[in-house]
Amino acid sequence: MERFTRDHFPETPFLFFTGKGGVGKTSVASSLSITMASEGKKVLLISTDPASNLQDIFGQTLHNTPTKVNGTNNLYALNLDPEQAASNYKEQMVGPYRGKLPDVVLQNMEEQLSGACTVEIAAFNEFATLLTNTAIIDQFDIIVFDTAPTGHTLRLLQLPSAWSTFLDENTTGTSCLGPLKGLEPQREIYKEAVERLTNASQTTLMLVTRPETNPLKEAARASHELYEIGMKNQMVLINGLLQGESHDEIEQAFIQRQTKSLENIPKELIPFNKYYLPFVPYSLSSIERMQAWMTDSEVKHEKIIEEGTTIPEIEEMIADYIQRKPKLIFTMGKGGVGKTTVASYIALRLAEEGIRVHLTTTDPAAHLKWTFGEEAVENVTVSRIDPKEEVAYYEAEVLAKASETMNEEGLAFVKEDLASPCTEEIAVFRAFANVVEEHQDEVIIIDTAPTGHTLLLLDATEAYHREISRSQGDIPVSVSNLLPRLRDASYTSVAIVTLPEATPVVEAIRLEEDLQRAGLSVDWWVVNQTFTSINTTSPTLVQKQQAETKWLKEVESISNNQFVTIPWVKTPPVGTFGLHQLKGVNINEN
Amino acid sequence: MKKIEIYEQAMCCSTGLCGPSFNPELLRLSFVINNLKNAGLVAERFNLTSDPHRFVENEEVKALLTSGGMDVLPATFVDGKLICKGHYPTNAQFVEWSGLSEEELVKKPKVRLSLKGDA
Repeated sequence: MERFTRDHFPETPFLFFTGKGGVGKTSVASSLSITMASEGKKVLLISTDPASNLQDIFGQTLHNTPTKVNGTNNLYALNLDPEQAASNYKEQMVGPYRGKLPDVVLQNMEEQLSGACTVEIAAFNEFATLLTNTAIIDQFDIIVFDTAPTGHTLRLLQLPSAWSTFLDENTTGTSCLGPLKGLEPQREIYKEAVERLTNASQTTLMLVTRPETNPLKEAARASHELYEIGMKNQMVLINGLLQGESHDEIEQAFIQRQTKSLENIPKELIPFNKYYLPFVPYSLSSIERMQAWMTDSEVKHEKIIEEGTTIPEIEEMIADYIQRKPKLIFTMGKGGVGKTTVASYIALRLAEEGIRVHLTTTDPAAHLKWTFGEEAVENVTVSRIDPKEEVAYYEAEVLAKASETMNEEGLAFVKEDLASPCTEEIAVFRAFANVVEEHQDEVIIIDTAPTGHTLLLLDATEAYHREISRSQGDIPVSVSNLLPRLRDASYTSVAIVTLPEATPVVEAIRLEEDLQRAGLSVDWWVVNQTFTSINTTSPTLVQKQQAETKWLKEVESISNNQFVTIPWVKTPPVGTFGLHQLKGVNINEN
Repeated sequence: MKKIEIYEQAMCCSTGLCGPSFNPELLRLSFVINNLKNAGLVAERFNLTSDPHRFVENEEVKALLTSGGMDVLPATFVDGKLICKGHYPTNAQFVEWSGLSEEELVKKPKVRLSLKGDA
């Protein structure tokens, strides 16, 4: 595999980055933008990520219009916040009726506009408007979209086809797009945006991943889903390939893990051009360094000196769980940080202590079986919530009930509403509630989906909860039982999983804020894949340790010292033995 | 011919499927209204989310909301006169207003749609 250099720069005017948080998507997108701009192209870099750290990278405030990046000639950047967009949209719809209708009525309207659909469509609206705004677009040679991590990106991207089909097929006038009626005039814009995205001579999808098994799997999944949507022009950038430079045992193991994962690269990624970017153990903090990274010039190491910090091990958290006995444990975090691994570890350790546990996942990438291994463990039961399957169940259930009383037109009507994106949220939530209900006598450990999805799920829960007191429908007992339990700190525990790096920590902080808004409190932070406690002489990994210190301290302070770390391990943490390595003891003995 | 107007609370969709669960009452209403329309009658539903201006324009609805809050919805008007509030009209009432038979109101499907379908 070749190193990514200027010979491989994509040639389409639109570049679209996708990749899980922590794979270095923002670093790659900004470095590439800087380099292309320095070569005379006029470049606009757009962030649609709610957790964007573009402002930190460039050290300047960005707006929703192009701002010239200091220290460059041809680079402009722009920030779109989907949550802000949704809130603007809500105000645009409700605002005119303030003072004209009673407050209680306005609240009802606002509630309906607070759902998952509104945020998504409002975000897409922003994005599509920009993509088709020739007044802005025509000023630039290249437009780079640095989107949110894959889960969110997929939704955003899946929307164009989903929504345009929906708008076409909607014959009755009222639908799940009801709350978004104000956006219907935009449909031409959506259509054009979809055309741009799926035109191979206009758009390249840049899949950023790492030379590790799970990130590669995630990239393959994203690649496949986006290919299906019509984005066929894709390029794979494998970020962080470590070139051997010492005989350090840990470094060798690190390289070996990388090599092995690349040997088993998922087949979906094989047809595309693949390039690597060298491992850099620190944040790319200057324009010069970012340029050097993108060209074949050598990346100079930077000396970072940080004082040491405490590195509590994961067993502290397990001891707390054994003592407090929460019934429901969530491991939350962005994709790629190791939520599944942490959930599996907790399940295994509680089971070993004689506690009966049920381990489940709602992550569309569901590699729980992969992490937990094929072995059956005493006291552990395992399940998976597959969003697609759940939607199919829900549809079948509703249509079966509906066909008892409906005529053909009535059924067509129902099918139309079922085709909306809301359906998935509902179906998944119901399945999740059933899991909780069915496993009352076990501790339930849930490896949730990536942030965007997770929060939509919880938002949906909240909306249902309020609706329940009024609705005449048959509400499953499991659903109405669940929400108060989620908010009961003695019943539910939330552990946020992150990595000791800039983006994952920033994203985790945002995730905690969002959870707090939803009324859930986080009681543990888990920093996964830390090198700090490992004995290594590799110059690169020593620098990585130093760079980690800042983020460990950050987590220590945010979590109020309620945090634990998991060391990087030489072999993937699969099965009972593999998971036990995460304790950290084995590593220290090396 | 009577004109039927129903004012409803904010809902994601007219079948209520986007709510917490499947609501047969909303489904019944959806297809009754559809059958009424197919028979050429004037039957309209106004949803607080998509048609808020209707709630402002109708002084009586506005006054009802101000005094009784959301509980007054759904509110049904026939020829501009408030007939019922807080619940939907019965099929018998629709029969009375429309002149259609109950069979016509709740027509069974001629062809049953496949549950798998293309939805």
